[in-house]
Amino acid sequence: MGTLGGLLILCIGLWIATPHFVTVSNLVNVVQQSTIIGVIAVGMTFVIISGGIDLSVGSLVAVAGITFGTLAQANVPLPLAAAGALIAGTLCGAVNGALITIGRLPPFIATLGMMSVARGIALMLSDGRPISGFPAGFRALATGTVAGIPLPVIIMLALYGAAHFVLTRVRLGRYTYAIGGNEEATALSGVNVRAYKTMVYCISGFVSALASLLLVARLNSAQPIAGISYELDAIAAVVIGGSSLLGGSGSVVGTLIGALIMSVLRNGLNLLGVSSYLQQVAIGTVIVVAVLVDLALRRRASLPTG
Amino acid sequence: MIRHGLRIIIGALVAAASVTGCNRGEKAGRPGPTLALVVKTLNNAFFIEMEKGARAAADSLGIQLVVQAPEREIDVEKQMQIVEDLIERKVDVLLLVPSGSREIVPAIVKANAANIPVVIVDTRVDAVALKSANARIATFIGSDNVDGGRIAGEFVAQKLGGKGKIAVLEGIPGHETGDSRLRGFRNAIAKYPGLTIVASQTANWERDQAFNVAQNILQSHPDIQAIFACNDVMALGAVEAIAAAARTKDIAVVGFDAQDDARTAIQQGRMAATIAQNPREMGRLAVISASKLLRNQIIPAEQPVPIDLVK
Repeated sequence: MGTLGGLLILCIGLWIATPHFVTVSNLVNVVQQSTIIGVIAVGMTFVIISGGIDLSVGSLVAVAGITFGTLAQANVPLPLAAAGALIAGTLCGAVNGALITIGRLPPFIATLGMMSVARGIALMLSDGRPISGFPAGFRALATGTVAGIPLPVIIMLALYGAAHFVLTRVRLGRYTYAIGGNEEATALSGVNVRAYKTMVYCISGFVSALASLLLVARLNSAQPIAGISYELDAIAAVVIGGSSLLGGSGSVVGTLIGALIMSVLRNGLNLLGVSSYLQQVAIGTVIVVAVLVDLALRRRASLPTG
Repeated sequence: MIRHGLRIIIGALVAAASVTGCNRGEKAGRPGPTLALVVKTLNNAFFIEMEKGARAAADSLGIQLVVQAPEREIDVEKQMQIVEDLIERKVDVLLLVPSGSREIVPAIVKANAANIPVVIVDTRVDAVALKSANARIATFIGSDNVDGGRIAGEFVAQKLGGKGKIAVLEGIPGHETGDSRLRGFRNAIAKYPGLTIVASQTANWERDQAFNVAQNILQSHPDIQAIFACNDVMALGAVEAIAAAARTKDIAVVGFDAQDDARTAIQQGRMAATIAQNPREMGRLAVISASKLLRNQIIPAEQPVPIDLVK
């Protein structure tokens, strides 16, 4: 795993550069900071492997969070309010899927539209204002720990475990690769491509809603402007993780490492006190270089065999 | 397969980053306190001025200062990550301009737990949220935005002779700073029965959005005589929209923050006035207060920074 090597080198470099990087509390910190993008990136991996893209995830984080906040404010029991948020996210994903499969829109366009519509709905539902102040029981989702491991990290790892199982062992996963590899051939072999593609966007909507619950718990506030540009971070995590934007290849394990690389890099740059301007240069460079190297190596690996 | 290229490049980046880190004053093993100033963003002149004030004070006191900010002004989550990382870095005092009045409270709780005093600058933390989380701040340094809004309102009232139509460009709804400025402005205008606010819309603190919103308002209310924008960035967007409609002579634009661009626009007669907060002074006071905290001196819970009208 080359990306894993990259992550390790990055960590070793930071270990040498600053005494504050390798401490238990900072490492917990870094993993925790990767959870929100990490969770969203699970759905994005499915979408990208299927040959699509989902630009709406950031806005879905806002819609789901505001749905949860609005229901909670109306004294709906919190588990039901959380279920409502997850349903809202999944439904938006289903609309994306329908627009792409039935409407035959390119995924870029369908989800670009959803990005704007969902943001607008979040602002309308909330009247543009954040909804704040949730009970401690719910906030435990962000603050709670099991055996010293923060709950969001456990949720993220469980999600990656489940997603890895689905992609490697379940028909949905295998068809996702097949659709991304060659959609026509997959359809001709009798697979209901529309249904499986729609499911992929539903997964993306569902995990975006899950991420929104983690975000609301973390900030103790549901914001209609939450999640702006998260889609780009999620796409970056997937691509650094070795998935091809052309579809048909990739893995969630790679994505997890990609998400960790992004958060280790940000954390390290903060610890080192690097100027905020230079941080953006560094992050952009790492994204591009990681993919360049990955492509070059893949080309080299594929040459001898044919 | 070993991917040497990736390793080398990431390694080089880390090395470059650590060199920059050292240049900025992080010399390992050197004692002496480090202060961290976390602002909302470093692409707004207001916070760059604040950084300058803080840096000058830190240099003269011989204290190390780290300044960081999220890429986007409204990204509270990223700001929280920065605060968490600075806590890990064990800075001695945290000087913080909250991106969200309520959302930042969990980060303050974490600083409290690490025994790092928190000095809040410019934007207040929601008092109720602070209390319910049992969080503590050492002091608040900033201007009274309600009063600034009132001064802007009084100026508009005088300028229009107590009679006319006004449009308002709001900040992001729910942001304490913008809401307070708006409240002060509306209260002042309400005292003049001849004045009406015919349109009041948000441009999310941004110049390009303000341009579009102002253009739209000019379409629906061509007879407005004044626009009040809750910051200069938006005011300057409105100034451009008004210029594009060739209406500069008959619409007075009033902004907030007294940025250099706004001062220039006032000199050129393109803008009527702005409210001067003093971000440099805020930065300076924040560092001075932090150095007092480090010497266990008592500092006031509130430290107002004066406001002026620039016209």
